[in-house]
Amino acid sequence: MADDIVDVLIVGAGASGAAVAWSLAETRMRIVCLEQGGWMNPAEYPSTGRDWETRAGKEMHPSPNVRKRPTDYPINDGESPIAIVNFNGVGGSTILYSAHFPRFHPSDFRVRTLDGVADDWPIDYFTLEPFFAENDSNIGVSGLAGDPAIPTHQPPLPHIPMGRMGETMGRGFNELGWHWWPSDSAIITRPHNGRDKCLNLGPCNTGCAQGAKSSADISYWPMAERAGVELRTHCRVREITVDDRDRATGVTYFDADGIEHHQRAEVVIVACNGVGTPRLLLNSTSARFPDGLANRSGLVGRNLMLHPWGLVVGHFDEPLKSNFGPQGCCILSQEFYETDTDRGFVRGYNMQITRGGPPVGTARGGIAQGAIPWGEGHHDAFDRLFGRSIHLGICCEDLPEEHNRVTLDPELTDSNGIPAPKISYTLSENSRRMLDHGSGKGAEAMAAAGAVKVQQIPSPLRMAGWHLLGTARMGTDPERSVVNEWGRSHDVRNLFLVDGSVFVTSGGVNPTTTIQAVALYIADSMKQRLANLFD
Amino acid sequence: MASDEIIGSDSPLTAEQRDVLAIVLDLIVPASVDGRRPSAADVDVLGYISASEPGTLTELRGELDQLDADARERHGEGFVALNADVRQALVDDIRAAEPGFMRSLAIQTVTCYYQDDRVLEAIGVEARPPFPKGYEVPSGDLTLLDPVRKRGRVWRET
Repeated sequence: MADDIVDVLIVGAGASGAAVAWSLAETRMRIVCLEQGGWMNPAEYPSTGRDWETRAGKEMHPSPNVRKRPTDYPINDGESPIAIVNFNGVGGSTILYSAHFPRFHPSDFRVRTLDGVADDWPIDYFTLEPFFAENDSNIGVSGLAGDPAIPTHQPPLPHIPMGRMGETMGRGFNELGWHWWPSDSAIITRPHNGRDKCLNLGPCNTGCAQGAKSSADISYWPMAERAGVELRTHCRVREITVDDRDRATGVTYFDADGIEHHQRAEVVIVACNGVGTPRLLLNSTSARFPDGLANRSGLVGRNLMLHPWGLVVGHFDEPLKSNFGPQGCCILSQEFYETDTDRGFVRGYNMQITRGGPPVGTARGGIAQGAIPWGEGHHDAFDRLFGRSIHLGICCEDLPEEHNRVTLDPELTDSNGIPAPKISYTLSENSRRMLDHGSGKGAEAMAAAGAVKVQQIPSPLRMAGWHLLGTARMGTDPERSVVNEWGRSHDVRNLFLVDGSVFVTSGGVNPTTTIQAVALYIADSMKQRLANLFD
Repeated sequence: MASDEIIGSDSPLTAEQRDVLAIVLDLIVPASVDGRRPSAADVDVLGYISASEPGTLTELRGELDQLDADARERHGEGFVALNADVRQALVDDIRAAEPGFMRSLAIQTVTCYYQDDRVLEAIGVEARPPFPKGYEVPSGDLTLLDPVRKRGRVWRET
């Protein structure tokens, strides 16, 4: 079976791989996806048990180096101030993401033209617009139409509840005359495609037991499998093989028992995220590609962008019940999203209002930061924080720099002996200034909202490297990019990359909606060219 | 007695270490004045650590022994025998000199404490998992967006 040739082989069953699998299924080609992890069982997610806050920090910890599930691979991120966080399994990192779903802006695709930095994308917002809408409809996205910070669109489901917390911050932003809006969220607020609506469990970032969060395992994969796509779990790909005509011939992978197989394929699609994809390409060396597959530009692994993250916490006198609601989704402000050079940096950031901590999270954070003392004052200090705190995250656009990169660690390997990725990353001066500006503006917003105490947490936050972008960038020049304007490798004409690694720039928002729109756009481009896909 | 010596029970701590621990837990989170919230000494912190963080037990034993040894060195008697004010002063002194002293214990203590039924009910949280019942969150007043709408488009033309 494994030696049969398949038409399309997808590596990775996360946000982008799932979207591409669904889109290509209508071609009736034989499509197989290999995923190193397994299916998750929502009935076993932490929020189904009393000890959910303990479990959230263990088997569902965002860092693979802490989590250490058998399906994880280690990542050497010791040389980066920002740790890499992810999840490996059907659905990929959408299992743990908070589902905050703002789109890139039109300006994000034209940063060279508008601001003289980095490079323009070879595609633009309006090319992707139908794919944003298609993705919103497929997975179920909630929001409120009319946001003046983004071109008009109609989220298919009503917005996530703001709660008193969201109203409080909204009044603060109004006091300052700043933009704000209920966030687009990949969480269904009404029944959608056989899934039931959100119940405000809270810890979306430990897996959604209700199935209301639109992770790829429960949104795209049921549709893709019904359409005939074969998903093989616990299959870890070691390398992509090539022939002497620079065509990919398939992949070599290990099954759950560690047995090595080779799967032949006419087309190989890589969807392993901005760290996993360059890792796989760099591990795929051959006589014709001694520096890694599809790497004649030398750019595979370079230009890693991580979205440096800041955090401001406001404490309020009145009870806000801020500990209830979808953890990462409420409202956002994009007042400082577009460039204003008077601020001392180019590009900008998104302010994401997230819920206050649950009981253990509040207490642990308070103890760690000295806000909750030992002894007599413990209870009063806890009461001042719990349910009365609002978090404001600052998602900074990270510009591409070639020295920020993914390479292969010379010693570290996964459980199959495959070399693990090593991260080399330094924070740019532009990002430093942006973080400082965001922290100051976040504190201003909290004060305007009535906070009695404001904490500006030192940034960048370490455990915040969710957004893995730019390491196999898209472009029309084979010397300055890895894939062309529709995701095909310049060097290997039957190899496609569809995840965040193809991003030319990072925008200043959580990227999953744009990742999935790009993946659907690439799949559509392939379908349009099936007769001459390799020309 | 050696710090890792265990006598006649399945406890990971000696009886002396358990006595010191109980006092330290009460110093970290004492009972509330109104009596509604228990002392951390009255929830099963040691059971929690043994089950969830067994890798930290060696550090905990060392810290408990250090506390007792410092008490004997400074005051001529074990930590348990000291009066409350002297115990507090001793712990404060050690923590001031070693900021990491018992930090891990404090984190584990509150992690256990704030999952205890009595504590959750006292802080106004139902003692149950989030799923399947969930929680009610009000949708919010959308008229608050009127000033934002009035200001008009803010995205940048390309």
